[in-house]
Amino acid sequence: MKALQVSRLTKSYDGDPVLRGVSLSLEPGERAALMGPSGSGKSTLLNLIGGIDRYDGGEIEISGRKLEALDEEGRCRLRRETVATVFQFFHLLPTLTAFENIEFPLQLNGVPEADRLRKVQDLVEEVGLEHRSRAMPHELSGGEMQRVAIARALSIEPRLILADEPTGNLDSTTGEAILDLLEKVSESRGVAMLVVTHSLRVTRICRRTMEMKDGLVVGRSAAAE
Amino acid sequence: MRRGSILAGDRRISSVLWSRFALRHWRQEPGLTALLVGILALGVAVFLAVRLANKAAVSGFSLFTESVAGESDFLIRSPAGPLGVGILRDLRRASGTDAVGLFPVLEVPAVDAKNPEGAILRLVGADLVALQNAANDGGSAAGSGPSLTAEESGEVVLGREDMGFVGEAFARARNLEPGDEYSLLVNDRPVPITVQGILQENPTRPAVPDNLILMDLPGLQKLVEEEGALSRVEIRVPLGAERGRVLERTRLAYSQLAERKDLIMETPEDRKSSVTRMSAAFRMNLTILSGLALVVGVYLIMQAMEAAVVKRRAEIAILRALGVTPRQIRRAWLLESLVLGAAGAAVGILLGRLLATGLVGAIARTVDTMYHQTTTSSVTLGWGEVLFSLSFGIAASVVAGFLPAREAAATPPAQAVRQGVQGGGLALLRKKGVGLTLLVVGIACAWLPPFQTSGGTLVPAGGYLAAIVLVVSLSILVGILFTPLSGLLGGREGDPMRRYAASQLRRPGGRHRLTAAGLAVAVGMSAAMGILVASFEHTLTSWIGQLLKADIYVAAAGSSSAAGEGTISPETWRRLGNLRGVAGMDKLRRYTITVEEREVFLAGSDYHGDARRRPQLVWLDAPDEPGPEALRGEEGSIPLAWISEPFARRLEAGKGDVVEFPTPAGTKSARVAGVYADYGNEFGTILLSRHHTSRWFQDDSVSRIAVYLEGGKDAEKVLETIRGEFPALVSRTNARLRSESLRIFHQTFAVTYALEAIAVVIAVAGLGLAMTGLLLERKNELATLRSLGASRRSIARAAAWEGSALAAAGLAGGFAISFLLGWILIFVVNPQSFGWTLAYRIPWLSFAGLTAVTLAVAAAVAWAVGHRNANLRSDRED
Repeated sequence: MKALQVSRLTKSYDGDPVLRGVSLSLEPGERAALMGPSGSGKSTLLNLIGGIDRYDGGEIEISGRKLEALDEEGRCRLRRETVATVFQFFHLLPTLTAFENIEFPLQLNGVPEADRLRKVQDLVEEVGLEHRSRAMPHELSGGEMQRVAIARALSIEPRLILADEPTGNLDSTTGEAILDLLEKVSESRGVAMLVVTHSLRVTRICRRTMEMKDGLVVGRSAAAE
Repeated sequence: MRRGSILAGDRRISSVLWSRFALRHWRQEPGLTALLVGILALGVAVFLAVRLANKAAVSGFSLFTESVAGESDFLIRSPAGPLGVGILRDLRRASGTDAVGLFPVLEVPAVDAKNPEGAILRLVGADLVALQNAANDGGSAAGSGPSLTAEESGEVVLGREDMGFVGEAFARARNLEPGDEYSLLVNDRPVPITVQGILQENPTRPAVPDNLILMDLPGLQKLVEEEGALSRVEIRVPLGAERGRVLERTRLAYSQLAERKDLIMETPEDRKSSVTRMSAAFRMNLTILSGLALVVGVYLIMQAMEAAVVKRRAEIAILRALGVTPRQIRRAWLLESLVLGAAGAAVGILLGRLLATGLVGAIARTVDTMYHQTTTSSVTLGWGEVLFSLSFGIAASVVAGFLPAREAAATPPAQAVRQGVQGGGLALLRKKGVGLTLLVVGIACAWLPPFQTSGGTLVPAGGYLAAIVLVVSLSILVGILFTPLSGLLGGREGDPMRRYAASQLRRPGGRHRLTAAGLAVAVGMSAAMGILVASFEHTLTSWIGQLLKADIYVAAAGSSSAAGEGTISPETWRRLGNLRGVAGMDKLRRYTITVEEREVFLAGSDYHGDARRRPQLVWLDAPDEPGPEALRGEEGSIPLAWISEPFARRLEAGKGDVVEFPTPAGTKSARVAGVYADYGNEFGTILLSRHHTSRWFQDDSVSRIAVYLEGGKDAEKVLETIRGEFPALVSRTNARLRSESLRIFHQTFAVTYALEAIAVVIAVAGLGLAMTGLLLERKNELATLRSLGASRRSIARAAAWEGSALAAAGLAGGFAISFLLGWILIFVVNPQSFGWTLAYRIPWLSFAGLTAVTLAVAAAVAWAVGHRNANLRSDRED
């Protein structure tokens, strides 16, 4: 079973086609980069896969579950249990501490407190934030915020991580560290990852790179390694 | 099973959202939270305070036995004039061998000699021995426990006209102890009373009214020179196994006797409700008005919650992106509203309890002046009221939170990853067609007939419905003002920030419309009250001007209450007429009678000879012969009468009708010759020549006198003489009576002024919150303006322009609402509730003041909000 299967996906905004029949797939544990100029439809594709936005035509199947068969409730459940997103602007909840941000999806899923705390503690250590876990988002640096966002994404043990320009808002050193982290967690957990990026640096952690242009996937290649 | 787990999940998520988000936001912004709780608290407090004060103000209308002797089963009274003492013999005979307790009572109004224009006191004469026996008989009283106990009465000295018992509150307020002397004015003379004992508060019986003086019956009869006269006989059937049967036999026997003798038999509850029903419309209108603060509060909570949704939109979108469902979001926001409502209501209940203590006096004075004699009881806050207010506050808050909650739940998760999707405001406010349709429907509703409650109170349901529909209609239509306002503000030249503000109004968002609509509602309702008060004042002033033609007005003590009527004896009024400088007098004697189970006034008047200086009644249906001579009519023919507007309305009588009414000389009739305006009371008056009434009632005393002076006499000097010669009479010059009338008028409306002010303050606070919401929505836009070189002050200036324009739209819409609401209040609600016709007057000067203050405050608030929200991160770091 594929981690992600997208077939002939289409999407328009106000009559302007943004996606014009995109097809791609990811194996479990596979990491792929999605590149392309601004407006090519990368982020839209990510939103559609995450059930954040609705598509007009085509199919999306995540770990064997067809997205179009899910109602609003089902899509919410999908985001709580199967697909996690890491955003360019981190999107941490400003009223929660770093620790609580990571804990929050587990709370939504009703994980018992003891398990939850243990798991969050492990994640905090895994992303290297032991000393910053009680800090509020506005007290964290960009790199730290993205580490929290990655830990939050991992907390639900997703099958698929969607990362939208995960290093786009970070300096190069911090960006490298975040890429290392993403690679490490993907390897160690066998979680598939689709990374939207402008940066060639990102492709070093991906087995495949796909290029989008005008709402279509126009090129595919194996990573330079 | 699956549904159960979903519900459990919902609850869990709600609890997480509550503890991790709502509570933290409240803690982060304690000022805003306190403001919201405070607004709700104020709304609930005003509403509760008026309810409590209303209750306390009329609960003082208690019957004698309720207070001292325990609850009576029935009472017998005459429809006109006093009962004769022979009634006791008839009642004894009718009850046969049944041991029925009869308590004859005479009740006379009096005033404190040191404060003759103060509250009315009730001099109650009762058979003290019978009361004491009832008390000592314990169980024989109808369940109310001991009455006048031996300790209280001590050695009762019977038949004394100068001794009486008072309640604890009465004694405490006047610092009296047994044996002390207390001076009263009764009718036209001073009367010293020695306190014989203090009636102790007793939890097993109702509190003794704080204006009651209890005397032995023969003593009081002697004091007022009405030997054998009774106001009523109160009847109690003793407790015991036979009580049910005896009660039924007595009811039958006494009702037959009452019918035979043309008397009225009723239960104390009937009596109480028939009297308090008179003021029901006044109290209901006050309660509805007090809801105004809460309505505006609801609107403000709605705005504040909307602003919070906008502010937390990104957070909501993230939550949605993390898998929280719209239902869970909606539930969390409704929970916030509910908790806010509960907190606001709890604070409001405490505040309302305090406010009620302040209000009760004002309401009681109005009720006393216009309806029935009452004394205030202490304000009591029962669990029922607490629960009612709590539910009302919570319901109001949840209603207010509903739309913002829906808006929050509609936040798409995609908004977490893109910017610029904004919203807010009600979609309804964009529908001009709906607004116009509602305008027509609202006006049509005003013609619906009033609804009559089971208690007989007329509720102007059509008027209220019309008011609500028109308010909604105009709050929708206010949106059409934005385009012209934008044109006025804009233009190619001048301050660029003003043009920026104008550009915001060119495409007004839902929040603009909601803000202007809310302000329009608050201003509209307040200004409508202003129109009502101005119309009332204008009508009353011209009525008083036309009516008060004499130089000096003299009344017996206790005549300032609508129901209390002291008398001036023939000897006194003749002496007054013979004073030097007095050219003539108009005399009036007024009796309370019962016609068709409604209490009305029967008045007999006679006028002095100079037709030019007589009172000019304001005619609603003028008689063919307006002079008072016409009232006297010819001997043997049916007397003519003039009736007041409330009488015409209550008894559905008009010019040409023959009205029948009871008198001690039997049922009499009179032909209605004209209908006049009367804003002095709502009971209704039938006015005849005193020539008839003095014969029917065998009574030559009068209640009020208008004194006309000879030309050139100084009214103040003659007043001095009258006060010196007749210290027990209340006398005023024409000018003083006018100013006193207006003082009472303003006192009556004091509560409404306060409510109006609260509504406008709340609405302007709402504008501040709305501006916060608008500017938060435009955070990026403001940052762009700053990057283009606009200073914080510039942005604050733009906000001030925008806020002023919003306030202008709200004011314009509000005044439109007020003109229509005023029309409904004056021509629909008022005639149906009170039977008064008023002239429509708009207080332009007050409106100009309201406009200036609202615009200035709105501009200042918007400026402050703009300044606060225009700061960049660098500003904060600086």
